[in-house]
Amino acid sequence: MNKNWIKTNTFHHSAFKDISRLVAEKQRKEVTISLCFPTLNEEKTIAKEIVIMKSELMTRYPLLDEIVVIDSGSTDETRNIARSYDVNVYEANSILPHLQKFKGKGENLWKALHVTHGDIIIYIDADIKNIHHRFAYGLLGPLLFTDRIRFSKAFYDRPISVGDNKWRPTGGGRVTELVTRPLFSLFMPDLTQVLQPLSGEYAGYRSVFESIPFQIGYGVETGMLMDIHEKWGLDVMAQVDLDRRVHRNQDTKALGRMAFVIIKTFLSRIEKQQRITLRQDLFDEMIQYGLLCNQFRPYIRPLEYYERPPMKEIAEYREKFMLT
Amino acid sequence: MDTYLDALPMFVDKIQEIREIIISNIVLLGQIPAPTFHEKRRAEYLVARLAEFQVDECAIDDYGNPMGVIRGTSPTKPPIFIVAHLDTYSEVKVDQHYEVTDKIISGIGVSDNSAAVGVLVSLPEIFKRLNLQLASDIVLVAPVLCLGRGNLKGIRRLLSHWPSPIQGAICLESIELGRLNYYSYGMIRSEISCSIAVEDHGRRRHEPNTILVINEVINAILGLRLPQKPRTQIVIGRVAGGFNHGKIAYDANIGFEIRSDSYDMVKTLYADIRDIVDGINKAFGVELNLNRISNMNATRLNHNHSLIKCASRILKRLEVKIFSEPSQSILSIFLNRKIPAVTLGLTRGDNFHQDDAMIEIEPMYKGIAQIPALLMAMDKGMCNE
Repeated sequence: MNKNWIKTNTFHHSAFKDISRLVAEKQRKEVTISLCFPTLNEEKTIAKEIVIMKSELMTRYPLLDEIVVIDSGSTDETRNIARSYDVNVYEANSILPHLQKFKGKGENLWKALHVTHGDIIIYIDADIKNIHHRFAYGLLGPLLFTDRIRFSKAFYDRPISVGDNKWRPTGGGRVTELVTRPLFSLFMPDLTQVLQPLSGEYAGYRSVFESIPFQIGYGVETGMLMDIHEKWGLDVMAQVDLDRRVHRNQDTKALGRMAFVIIKTFLSRIEKQQRITLRQDLFDEMIQYGLLCNQFRPYIRPLEYYERPPMKEIAEYREKFMLT
Repeated sequence: MDTYLDALPMFVDKIQEIREIIISNIVLLGQIPAPTFHEKRRAEYLVARLAEFQVDECAIDDYGNPMGVIRGTSPTKPPIFIVAHLDTYSEVKVDQHYEVTDKIISGIGVSDNSAAVGVLVSLPEIFKRLNLQLASDIVLVAPVLCLGRGNLKGIRRLLSHWPSPIQGAICLESIELGRLNYYSYGMIRSEISCSIAVEDHGRRRHEPNTILVINEVINAILGLRLPQKPRTQIVIGRVAGGFNHGKIAYDANIGFEIRSDSYDMVKTLYADIRDIVDGINKAFGVELNLNRISNMNATRLNHNHSLIKCASRILKRLEVKIFSEPSQSILSIFLNRKIPAVTLGLTRGDNFHQDDAMIEIEPMYKGIAQIPALLMAMDKGMCNE
């Protein structure tokens, strides 16, 4: 296990707060940058996220070249509100419409690759209540200031030790600590150094994102980490402390469904990597129980597992970006 | 002559072009709690923000007032102040999360006075976009300790220590667009508290109930004769007391304000209330105390002062209905020092002082456009008498 990674590739957003330096570095590298918000019914938070990013990183400093919203079919005012702030808003189903349609965050992220233009793409969840532009510039820092780092991922709440013998929790959520971290510990201990592998904020070069498959739902972050690790190794990755993140909490049942998809993504990946052999097919339904009229009733939710291929294998994409 | 009026439509358009910067400033500042006496974090952030916007001199004075100076072209012209009070009525001390839509911004304190503070911080960028170059220095200040027990101490202190003459001031309040304040009542704001010492609880046969004692005080105040002229009013605006339904109340208090066109009348009535309190104190044998929280002299700019005329013309050109009411705020501190000043409202809003307070975004562009227009007029000496 490469134990040094956490020391060499962990940053704090404050190291990159001089935005004019980031802009200078961006210009020196001659790269363009896109910011993508995947949404589903985020009318309470989307405007604030767009406004702050646009104000601080587009109007005041030319760090971002575009902001796009990829929506999964919100039934509230998300799309109208986003459009009112003059950003490009797409319904996921309208992008590459001839392909089979899926609904999920991973689907939105994958399709964002087709409609954005940037050499670097930042993905930020749209439900963050304490949004601040550090969420974007913090992730960009390692990508712009080094040549080796191609992908950066957020973590929160200062999880590093605060004294000689005092440790604070990593700030990872319940699914991270109960599912992802044990799986990584069992099979890929290098990746345990990624403190919050399920965080929804990350940035990377297009050349990375277009070369890996995207799981359409909750498994997108796990699959992405495993694929980047497998393809390029740990050294191309960085993690950035973005301090605090406030978002809405999910109930245990919803987290159970998330865990189901993550475990399935994980098993599918390590089987593909020939680390294990599964002797049966995995089921597609998450079964949870509730008490109704004094009887235990199953609540069965089909959670189809589907993965989009690397975007660079899609003909329209190859044509648009002139890939040979 | 009327350049400042002709420029208004362009001002509104240009301000709208940078709406994201203005909204961001309102949100980023407003989310930092700033109850009176706890404004430090917001003050520090404000100064840092002014520095980011390349304001020439940014500092927090020894009283905690954050400010920035935009240097004018004349080294001799007295400065013009633009002021928005930094503190909020809300006692909440944890970070807030404002909500923004395409039409509104909502959250604790946004309408009093976080939106105005956010606009104040945005002014350097707005002036830059409008190519506004003035001869006078512009002093942007968000004074602390303005509300309630703060008693406007921040601005009082700042002005008493300011080393040079001041040309005039524009005070900003988040709402209501069309507001044009240029005079203030004389005012004393006070509290009467009634309590029974812990060691006396349950010792007397006929134990006094502090709520009933306070009720006696209220009745006595209501019995005071108030003159028609000078116009005078006593507002009992707050009452609290007791523990639960079945227990005699050991603590109760009221908050009230005496307002009048004449400060002498305010002082006379305050003395009458002191007599009432002393009398009831003796009759019931309780701890009944009268505490003055804040006071203010009655003061005004003449209604035909050229500053008022300019501000009125601007609002008319913007097709905004004007309304003038007395104001007990920062304005009166400037007027007391014979510094011409007005208070302007920036937008419309609702749920004032509630957790879901909100302001409208669209009217704000006109509200902000008043500021550079009035500054141009003041800078050219059009507001001097």
